[in-house]
Amino acid sequence: MKLLGLMLKNIRRNWIASILASAATIMLVLMVTLVWSVLSFLDQVTAEKSKDLKAIITERWQIPSQMPYSYAATLTEGAARTDDDIRPIDSMTWSFYGGTTDIKNRTLDNTLFAFAMEPQKLRTMMDDLDSLPPDQAAELDAAIAKMDENRLGTIVGLDRLEALGKRVGDRIKLFGINYRGIDLELEIVGTFPRGRYDKSAVIHRDYLNAAVDAWPREHNGEEHPLAQKSLNLVWIKVPDSDAFQKVADQISSSPYYSSPAVKCETASSGIGSFLDAYRDLIWGMRYLLAPACLATVAVVMSIAIGIGVRKRQMELAVMKVLGFRPRQILIMVLGESLLLGTAAGLISSWATWYLVNNLLGGIPFPIAFFPSFMIDDGALWWGPAVGGGAALLGSVWPAWSACRVKVSEVFSKVT
Amino acid sequence: MGHDNTILRVTDVHKYFRRGSERVDVLSGLNLEVGEGEFFGLMGPSGSGKTTLLNLIAGLDVPSEGEVWVGSNCISRMSESQLATWRTRNIGFVFQFYHLLPVLSAFENVELPLLLLPLSAGQRRQQVETALDLVGLKDRMWHRPGQLSGGQQQRVGIARAIVTDPLLIVADEPTGDLDAKSAVEILDLLEELRSGLEKTIIMVTHDPRAARRCDRVRHLDKGQVVDGSALQGEHVEEHVG
Repeated sequence: MKLLGLMLKNIRRNWIASILASAATIMLVLMVTLVWSVLSFLDQVTAEKSKDLKAIITERWQIPSQMPYSYAATLTEGAARTDDDIRPIDSMTWSFYGGTTDIKNRTLDNTLFAFAMEPQKLRTMMDDLDSLPPDQAAELDAAIAKMDENRLGTIVGLDRLEALGKRVGDRIKLFGINYRGIDLELEIVGTFPRGRYDKSAVIHRDYLNAAVDAWPREHNGEEHPLAQKSLNLVWIKVPDSDAFQKVADQISSSPYYSSPAVKCETASSGIGSFLDAYRDLIWGMRYLLAPACLATVAVVMSIAIGIGVRKRQMELAVMKVLGFRPRQILIMVLGESLLLGTAAGLISSWATWYLVNNLLGGIPFPIAFFPSFMIDDGALWWGPAVGGGAALLGSVWPAWSACRVKVSEVFSKVT
Repeated sequence: MGHDNTILRVTDVHKYFRRGSERVDVLSGLNLEVGEGEFFGLMGPSGSGKTTLLNLIAGLDVPSEGEVWVGSNCISRMSESQLATWRTRNIGFVFQFYHLLPVLSAFENVELPLLLLPLSAGQRRQQVETALDLVGLKDRMWHRPGQLSGGQQQRVGIARAIVTDPLLIVADEPTGDLDAKSAVEILDLLEELRSGLEKTIIMVTHDPRAARRCDRVRHLDKGQVVDGSALQGEHVEEHVG
């Protein structure tokens, strides 16, 4: 305890150097926290689950996937044809509809990107929405019930709602961007809980399908150009990897899905495939940026602690004369650095976590389908660990030189 | 030369350093004995080996050859770690430039060597207060070194040296950085420690007035003990007491 007190006093005595070293550590831990949060999130979504795993069925050879809607009924059954075939536990279909409230003056703010799907599947198949706290679940359930009653209903993310300048209860008219000519009147019946779906929206799939079906009646019997391409994704949930493998085999062996051909892959590998486009960026973040930040923290601390040790060489020699062992001096110098780095890491990661998650609502770093990222709760412990670890690493050499101080040599320079 | 109650015995000690292929002798076959409770002075010109000898006696360095005995311990055969433990209990070191830790108060500076001993906080406090009382600075124990005069800092340095009740007090020119008045006060204090607490004090000094306070003075020249009369300009008798 006494040695700890001495460490704290030594940190406090040269407060300018301590503050500068801490500030540098805070900035670099901030960088590492942001980078690692993105990587951690991507790791989570690309990690294979062993139970209740989700699979994505998409068009095999084309991105974006555009399948005929006639595929939906059988794909949601996992292409099961006999009683022995495996059927998914649950499923949902996605059609992407992009529209704007102002067709002449289209901006990002007046544009809405929506998933057309069955409202009930929001609570059983959408990531994060299947595990909401009771109050948020009740609120979303109420909005879903309204969508079931009124297929013009839409649920909109909070950021998107704010950008549109609308409120729950307002009506909007969307002019189709990808579905050219198909304009939808919508009524905003609720919002998503704050988080992953802040920039998203959901519309009733029956409403979009009805609009697509109605198109030929007003266009001399001609189908809408996307009529046979309106199914973008089918999600299925299977109990385990064996079931997934069987369902995937059922789908790939079915002659029904030949034009266009489809593929079935686990959600994690599907997302992983999608993230392939960002592979170099993610590799750079993981293996260049994060280690570079850590190395910089270590160098900064090494310089700061090294300067301190050189200034205090006489004191360290005196401590040795008094009977302090080299090991104790080593621990003292390492401890000072560890305290400084850990405190800076703690401040940095806790402040980043609070700021990003509670005030900013995520890091705006759009990649794949993910508009923003939240700071991982793990940052609350690995932030201090990163700061402390890097500082400890950086102080090894200064601490070693401190404990090797030759008393007789130090005093011979003075007297 | 021999003492019945010898506390320090330096026997045929050599200390040399290597500078490339050249051997530089600092101490050459030095012999010395100091009795228990003696106030012993060591004088000599610069480069004569005084500080090197003091470092050997205090266990801060080990001789190249020969033996250094303090009490019943042959410290020249101890490892660095053993010497550190031994120093805590047996040596009190008084520096010319005090060398107090500037971030610590007088109390904390004096307490520093006690942190290495198995003592409770209460025991440490009692010993520190006793030591500071002995040097007349109990009323300033929460002052930092920067808030004390040179003489007061040296008193704190002496309190730190005696707080563990060591066998030997080793003082390296303790008055070298002080004005005349403060120097006299420090020498008075050292004499009190010797007479009142019967401490053995070994003091290196250049100051003849300081040397006169010693019971016995030896001169060092070129790494060997020489007669006082052999050194010109240093009018200090070999046996003062």
